Amino acid sequence: MKDSTLLFRSLATIVFIVGIAHLASYASQKDDINYNYQESIDSNQKSVFPEDGKSKSNNNPETDYIIGKWKVNYNIEDFNGSVFYNIKKEGKYFNAYTYQYQDKNGNTEKAEGLKTLIIKSFDGYQGKGVYTIEYEQQQYQVDCQIDMVDENTFKLSYDYYGYSDVESWKRQ
Amino acid sequence: MIEFLSKKLDWIDVEYWFYILNDLSLVYIIVPFFILELVRYAYLKKLNKNLILDSVANLITFGAFFLIEIILGLLAITKAYFWIYNNISLPHLELNWITIITCILLADFAYYWEHRMMHRIGIGWATHTVHHSSPHFNMSVAYRFGPLDAIMPILFSLPIVMLGYDPILVLLSEVFVQVFQTLLHTEIIGKLIKPVEYIFNTPSHHRVHHGSNRQYWDKNYAGILIIWDRMFSTFEPEVEKVRYGISEPLNSNNPIKVFFHGISRLIRKLKKVNGFKNKLLVFIKPPDWMPTNK
Ligand SMILES: [Zn+2]
Ligand SMILES: [Zn+2]
Repeated sequence: MKDSTLLFRSLATIVFIVGIAHLASYASQKDDINYNYQESIDSNQKSVFPEDGKSKSNNNPETDYIIGKWKVNYNIEDFNGSVFYNIKKEGKYFNAYTYQYQDKNGNTEKAEGLKTLIIKSFDGYQGKGVYTIEYEQQQYQVDCQIDMVDENTFKLSYDYYGYSDVESWKRQ
Repeated sequence: MIEFLSKKLDWIDVEYWFYILNDLSLVYIIVPFFILELVRYAYLKKLNKNLILDSVANLITFGAFFLIEIILGLLAITKAYFWIYNNISLPHLELNWITIITCILLADFAYYWEHRMMHRIGIGWATHTVHHSSPHFNMSVAYRFGPLDAIMPILFSLPIVMLGYDPILVLLSEVFVQVFQTLLHTEIIGKLIKPVEYIFNTPSHHRVHHGSNRQYWDKNYAGILIIWDRMFSTFEPEVEKVRYGISEPLNSNNPIKVFFHGISRLIRKLKKVNGFKNKLLVFIKPPDWMPTNK
């Protein structure tokens, strides 16, 4: 068989398979818009979570290792650099607060300590929570998923209005 | 149907299913099947020292391969894969059945090409010859790997990540293809019904792949679907009785010799070939290539 035939058939196969996957993903995200919108209003309203941070008795070494300082690199239109977060355990939840920004040249700036991520459930490997994203000066709270890659890395993934992303959080 | 296929799934469930199919299958299919094969060998009075030592060597090469895989995995997979996924990839796909099925299809397609390449370029064959060097054909042979067998798959799966598939899903799909492939290494199962033999890779098709009979060379590269071989004209049905092994037999059960024989043969060839350009070509030309004007 000619090389060109091999190449043509291979490309056609890939385009066909990947096309189906992206079409399906695109179509189902469209359906989700309404659902997500409802959800976001919902979580906006109860964005004040119970702050019973004083009860420090609920220690659990299997999940508490997520507590600490984490770094995330971003390379998006309006920000190219890193954000440093501090994850604290507050009551039943783990909350991540921003504490430092760093641009791509290494210049750092203190952050305002925003509560950006609330991890509502976490079993040591995976978790679910609410993540605050900013888009055109508007803040949105979206459901997110956490998957530990190893003990010093986890993936934070979310999907909102068909806008989905996966961030890689690295321990500092 | 479409609705079901595109319904969002939870990672924790998907990982659990793959755990049952990829990891636990060792316990509930592969080991019992291998024991059955040993019983059959005993019944046929073929259970001799050579066969046992061959199986032991197979498992040792797997151990060595696995070690390399883990080291590479920590370096390459978590770093390169996620970097590519986050920086040079199509929009990320949702986790649903369509994504999983198409990911397995792509992993299988990548397997076909990666496997074909392992046979048709010098450096590929230097490592993959290990898998083909056993004169036997049973489940333990599936675990017979060469030192660089973990590298080619990385080259071929990175493009899948670029297409928007989660690196972890790509990895799980690749292991799934590999586990399916493992199950084909047996003489116990003859030919299956026509439609299955037409679509899927089967023990019969993979016996052909391991054949040293001339018409069986470089045929049936498939992982799960044999249709790739039919599509790219590398299919050959099992007709003549298969003689397992490679054209230049190894005749050793020493695990170290088994593991490195491809590399040492490549080095010997490199020494024989004159000129820098020719030495370079030894790596990328087919394994039987020799410079013409010597
Ligand atoms: Zn092969
Ligand atoms: Zn094989």
